[in-house]
Amino acid sequence: MSAVAATPQLELRGVTKRFGGVAAVDGVNFEVAKGDIVGIIGPNGAGKTTLLNCISGIHHLDSGDIRWEGASIAGMAPHRIANLGIGRTFQIVKPFGSMTARENVAIGALFGSAHMRRGMKQAFALADEVLELVGLKAKADQPVSALTIPDRKRLEVARAVATRPQLLLLDEVMAGLNNVEIDEALEMVRSVHATGVTVLLIEHVMRVIVGVCRRAIVLDSGRVLAEGEPEVVLRDERVIEAYLGERYAKRLKSS
Amino acid sequence: MANFVQLVILGLLAGGIYVAVGVGFGLVWGVLNIVNLAHGALVIIGGYITWQLFTALHLDPFLTLPVDAVALFVLGYALQRGVINRIIRAPLLFTFLLTFGLNLVLVNILLLIFGSDFRSVTPAYAGKGFEFGSIVIPYVPLISLGAAILLSAGLAFLLNRTRIGLAINAIAADRDAAQLVGIDLRHAYAVTYGLGAACAGVAGGLIALIQAITPTAGEPYTLQAFVVVILGGLGRVSATVVGGLAFGLVEVFAQSIPGSGSVFANAIAFGLLVLVLVTRPQGLMGRLR
Repeated sequence: MSAVAATPQLELRGVTKRFGGVAAVDGVNFEVAKGDIVGIIGPNGAGKTTLLNCISGIHHLDSGDIRWEGASIAGMAPHRIANLGIGRTFQIVKPFGSMTARENVAIGALFGSAHMRRGMKQAFALADEVLELVGLKAKADQPVSALTIPDRKRLEVARAVATRPQLLLLDEVMAGLNNVEIDEALEMVRSVHATGVTVLLIEHVMRVIVGVCRRAIVLDSGRVLAEGEPEVVLRDERVIEAYLGERYAKRLKSS
Repeated sequence: MANFVQLVILGLLAGGIYVAVGVGFGLVWGVLNIVNLAHGALVIIGGYITWQLFTALHLDPFLTLPVDAVALFVLGYALQRGVINRIIRAPLLFTFLLTFGLNLVLVNILLLIFGSDFRSVTPAYAGKGFEFGSIVIPYVPLISLGAAILLSAGLAFLLNRTRIGLAINAIAADRDAAQLVGIDLRHAYAVTYGLGAACAGVAGGLIALIQAITPTAGEPYTLQAFVVVILGGLGRVSATVVGGLAFGLVEVFAQSIPGSGSVFANAIAFGLLVLVLVTRPQGLMGRLR
């Protein structure tokens, strides 16, 4: 008897989202196994953020299905998807501006994964742990308005991590950071992944994809163009074409 | 001098009612971005509950306040969940229309049940007070002020120290981020409106003690709640407390001007509002955002 393949943690089947006549995400299929770390790349407008919005329930699908540990989560309210253990960050950070860094993260800990529910005291204790993990411990009691942009990105990740997700969706957390800050952020993503969290991240910085991802999925015009090991995928002709245009890709090849 | 002290005392005592009326209104406005024109109707429902319990069961009116709060919380939660939630992301004008309509419906239901007769709640200690020489501190407004401060402190505690309170703060700060950390927006909205209504109910109970009520008696309080919240500054309970006490003081001092009466008092109170809006648009205690 052959071994039954383990159910993937996250499974996308023909996921499609249209805005007017434009299919921003068009029949996307892929699977993410528990404990994996997968990068989604693609040119601007490829549908990367839309895809994350579909997974976290902000957008309703026009067709297709999204399964979480074998059960469909398509059409579920965003807070219920978060309660299942799918956390996320936003490309443009959305901190709770009226609060301190610590309170922001504590709210993540107070809500988030339903089976990880905790009281006020434990939530603030967990917030302190997570702030240390992302390197914001010294600034815990500062209001959000006093934080720098890289710190706000850390806070965004910290709040998502504090929800104790099993899957973390990261939307361009490295964008706008300098090289040193990217290295720190990479370290942060690695340490979060090391705690057993599956990570699905959107990134433009290829160094990040090659540096942390085991697998990369390339989106172009809402479709999956290529999928595989990052080094292999990035050498794929179709991928170079999608990024640089056909003519430049040919020149690159002939030179 | 004694006269001045007496006016300050009376002003602060009068402010208690405005604090109670203002805190719930400010909460709903600050968190849900709804200027709740049905606030006055909710206030007066609280008044009728106190009157009914006082008349039928001879309960002390101040002991009926928790009943007002619980009953109005339930009503407010249901109203938000069933009706107001439909326009939660709509432009401000829609919220005006809907809450104005709700106000009419609620007032007319009260007219059907209680008629338009004046109802008053007069416990044995009404009209009495402490006397220190020429200064008098009447019991009812004193206990009312205490109840209003207690109500505000309870609300502030709930908002800053409890799970649902932090959820309410989070949705006020960023709705999208709040739902993606797992906060049920519809429930949190409904609790917010329920708390606003509960505060209105307590305010109504206090109002029934200082004036005779009719189903339409709540309407001026919607306007006064609006002024109090602007005066103090939107977004914090403590700011509304300051706004309410300031409004009470201004009103009492304005009424004390010989030949003034309530007409002048209103003109001065609203003149002050305009002055605050021009010089400190964030309110006396507000922070610029």
